[in-house]
Amino acid sequence: MNIKIAVIEFPASNCDRDALHVLNNVVNIKADLVWHNHFKEKDYDGVILPGGFSFGDYLRAGIIAAHSPAMDEARIMLEDGRPVLGICNGFQILTEAQFLPGALLRNESLKFVCKWVNLKIENNKTAFTNKLNKADIIDIPIAHGEGRYFTDKLKELVDNDQIVFRYTNEKGAITSDSNPNGSMDNIAGVCNLEGNCLGLMPHPERASESILSPNGTTHGKIIFDSMIDFIKKRSA
Amino acid sequence: MPKVNTSGDELDVNLTDDEIERIKDELNRDPSITEWGMFDVMLSEHCSYKSSRPKLKLFEDAEKNYDYVLAGPGQDAGVIDIGDNYALAFRIESHNHPSAIEPYHGAATGIGGIIRDILCMGVRPIALLDPLRFGTLTDNPHSQWLFKYVVKGIADYGNCTGIPTIGGEVEFDKSFESNCLVNVACIGLGTIEDFKHAPSRAYNPRDYIILMGGSTGRDGIHGVTFASRTLTDMSEADRPAVQIGDPFTKKMIIEATLEAIKTGHVRGLKDLGGGGLSCALSELTGDGGTGASVDMGKIFIREPGMNSFEVMLSESQERMAFIVKPEGLEDVLNVFRKFEMAHAVIGRTDDTQVLKVYDGDNLVVNLPATALSDAPTIPRKEKRPDFLDDLLAQKTPEPSKKLDEIIYDLIASENICSKEWVYRQYDHEVGVRSVLKCGDGDSGILRIIGTNKFISSSVGTNSKHCFLDPYNGSKGGMIEICGNVIANGARPKAMVNCCNFGNPEAPESFWYFAESVKGMADFCREMKIPIVGGNVSFYNEDEVTKTAIKPTPVIMIVGIIEGEENIITLPFKDVGSDVLLIGETKPELGGSEYHSVIYDMEGGTPPNVNEKEIKLIWDFIFELYENNLVKSNHDVNKGGIIITIAEMCFKNKIGVKLDLNTFKEGGLKDDELIFSESVGRFVMETSKSDYDKIMDLGGKYKISVKKIGTTIMEPEIQINGLKTSNFTLNLKQMKHLYDSTIPNLMDK
Repeated sequence: MNIKIAVIEFPASNCDRDALHVLNNVVNIKADLVWHNHFKEKDYDGVILPGGFSFGDYLRAGIIAAHSPAMDEARIMLEDGRPVLGICNGFQILTEAQFLPGALLRNESLKFVCKWVNLKIENNKTAFTNKLNKADIIDIPIAHGEGRYFTDKLKELVDNDQIVFRYTNEKGAITSDSNPNGSMDNIAGVCNLEGNCLGLMPHPERASESILSPNGTTHGKIIFDSMIDFIKKRSA
Repeated sequence: MPKVNTSGDELDVNLTDDEIERIKDELNRDPSITEWGMFDVMLSEHCSYKSSRPKLKLFEDAEKNYDYVLAGPGQDAGVIDIGDNYALAFRIESHNHPSAIEPYHGAATGIGGIIRDILCMGVRPIALLDPLRFGTLTDNPHSQWLFKYVVKGIADYGNCTGIPTIGGEVEFDKSFESNCLVNVACIGLGTIEDFKHAPSRAYNPRDYIILMGGSTGRDGIHGVTFASRTLTDMSEADRPAVQIGDPFTKKMIIEATLEAIKTGHVRGLKDLGGGGLSCALSELTGDGGTGASVDMGKIFIREPGMNSFEVMLSESQERMAFIVKPEGLEDVLNVFRKFEMAHAVIGRTDDTQVLKVYDGDNLVVNLPATALSDAPTIPRKEKRPDFLDDLLAQKTPEPSKKLDEIIYDLIASENICSKEWVYRQYDHEVGVRSVLKCGDGDSGILRIIGTNKFISSSVGTNSKHCFLDPYNGSKGGMIEICGNVIANGARPKAMVNCCNFGNPEAPESFWYFAESVKGMADFCREMKIPIVGGNVSFYNEDEVTKTAIKPTPVIMIVGIIEGEENIITLPFKDVGSDVLLIGETKPELGGSEYHSVIYDMEGGTPPNVNEKEIKLIWDFIFELYENNLVKSNHDVNKGGIIITIAEMCFKNKIGVKLDLNTFKEGGLKDDELIFSESVGRFVMETSKSDYDKIMDLGGKYKISVKKIGTTIMEPEIQINGLKTSNFTLNLKQMKHLYDSTIPNLMDK
């Protein structure tokens, strides 16, 4: 089948071309960069909301983009089970649009933070983690000022297995030192009940080529590979 | 400040009496108030380079003498051809005065301005680098405030626009206490065609002039004249002259501009920075040999009631002027509509060579286009300061502490310690080009996707050395910056500079500038590296305390690495390797961090430069690279060789056993050997089995290559063979000191 993914360009998205590059040249799948007002869901098998500062993050990170017509289209995809992935600012948009529970607050340090971290896979049954093993530790970078995950329904998320990634140290221990932004329970990514919508603060598109990775790993690519695998199985 | 009268209005201008008379003579009338304002701006030091231009002529003509230089000095940015049909644009600029009184917006709009300069060349901005200078942080809340908000301003602006900040430099010295230096550099990448599409000139009559981006407001009026004066205790009142940045709009301008250029209908492009519309319109037409007629009523303004004086002089951020072919107007406007960017066709070019601006039916500006862009120069007096002889004669005191204690003090000192606190706040990876992580190399390295070619870039200088000897100090700065890219495996390709000096009307300050330019020009000619652009920031002087900054000619370099396998990094890789010191260590402690941190003294004998030796060292290193003989490489900089070695140990927790017996015969004292900042040296890790081969090559080039130690498993630096005593440094303790100084000062 000819799989086609849309990467949405909101005004001042800035990791859109990075995701596009990885899909087209590393994962080797057809992906289009689509201006947010021009996006039509019927043309695509999956959608990625990339990182950046949509609408300058003015008012609140992600909130203006959450009201873009692109999100009405994305909601149709969400509801019929196609994969919807939000990276960094995309995650903020997904919580603001209530595709995903919780909110992303200003980092505890009050500073933007750019560095490589370790994530533990808590749920490998989602559309984006099916090629990973539970409790795997992956290398991936973060770059955000508002990534502190907060929810008032933590128990519900745990019970429903909606926590997908947690920040850990190199050995996989969930510690406060390995929590880069003060997220509740070290949460780095969550999914919807059905597992076809994922939001995460770290950037898999920056961890998909060994040349960019301090340890030479390509763990981020597995997230995109899983997404493609999910699409293939879904249409089979 | 002189006053001019015009139709009943009185205006303060920053012009000399000669300039006022010349303007009246040339026009054969009294200018209108708006015209006076435009002259005031365009003849300011910042726009006209009236003091510096005679000296800048010392730099050779890069476009003429180097076939790969596509754009040289005088353009918005330098551009070089790096092969495979790629053009690389880069530039460095200062935003010192605004940052000194409003650090957050001052720094942010500095980033905004340098991004526009690169965009003007038709290419995508892909990286930022920021050399910063402040007063010392310890016990100084004012310096801490400036440092914190300058870094935040850069982070908030750069991160939002999606341009990674891949390098920089931070120096703390009391001479920068009232005049912090915020220099900003940007690199752009595109194809040769992208660059050729849109020059910053309007060469054709009857083209449309479009203004796109932010609205024109009352902010930033007279920013450049304010930057062309010394700061006074009244300068706080100048805060309205600082512009306010809007990184969201800037990001949209980048995308809309690049897409507009792709239509093929944009024939000229100019950003609105210092001097606003006055500067952009006069440079487009004056340098393009055309004229223009502009309708002020079409310019979208932020608040009602702005007069022509305010509109023409506004330095509101986030604006670009486009010169567009008549037949392409709709296509270009459609791009701006897609991005929902405010825009207006404000006039057309013509062949009159006159710049006319209409406010309704009133002709408020009617000037020959070149009247504003061709400013005469002013010769300045030079005088070597009398205090220099005493400074140069200062002798290093006998060490008051043990050498190991001094090294621990140095590694924790503000100028040597880790700058991780800064670069963690910058998104240094957006764009998926950054292949070297901050802290792993001497330079920032970017891949060019789709090729096996890499860009290496670094910025910096040594102001303490320049203060003692601006001629050799400026050369030394260039050697250090070239050393940064060479250590990573890159061939130096071209440089730009940003000259930060005191008041050019003071002969001592101007002497520093003149000597520094001469040093840089001589070095570049000798080493065959072109200077493709520059910026001069004068008046970095505090009128209250009458202190000028240390002379700071900041250099930015770009180099190219062909092939991923040829990237060299600084951390030691293996235990049991040889540690080599390349280049001669001389008793040059003048202006060293050792003198400054331990004895609080500025004088002594600073490093001298011998270009012939430097050239041989570089050739030797490239021959080692070609034969794959180098595992790690790091150029020796502030603090001397032990600091250099410690930085190589940290990442992989590999120690070193040093044997310095080889220096026992020489005349160097222990502190001179360890702390000298002699320029052009490198510390390398190489294989034991390659030792003979490397020493043979060193002999062939007749340069100093000395094995000084071996890498070891133990996390320590064992120092043997000194004249006084042997000792061992604990790496864990060094790393702790290295990492904690700035967080302790800033986050507690």
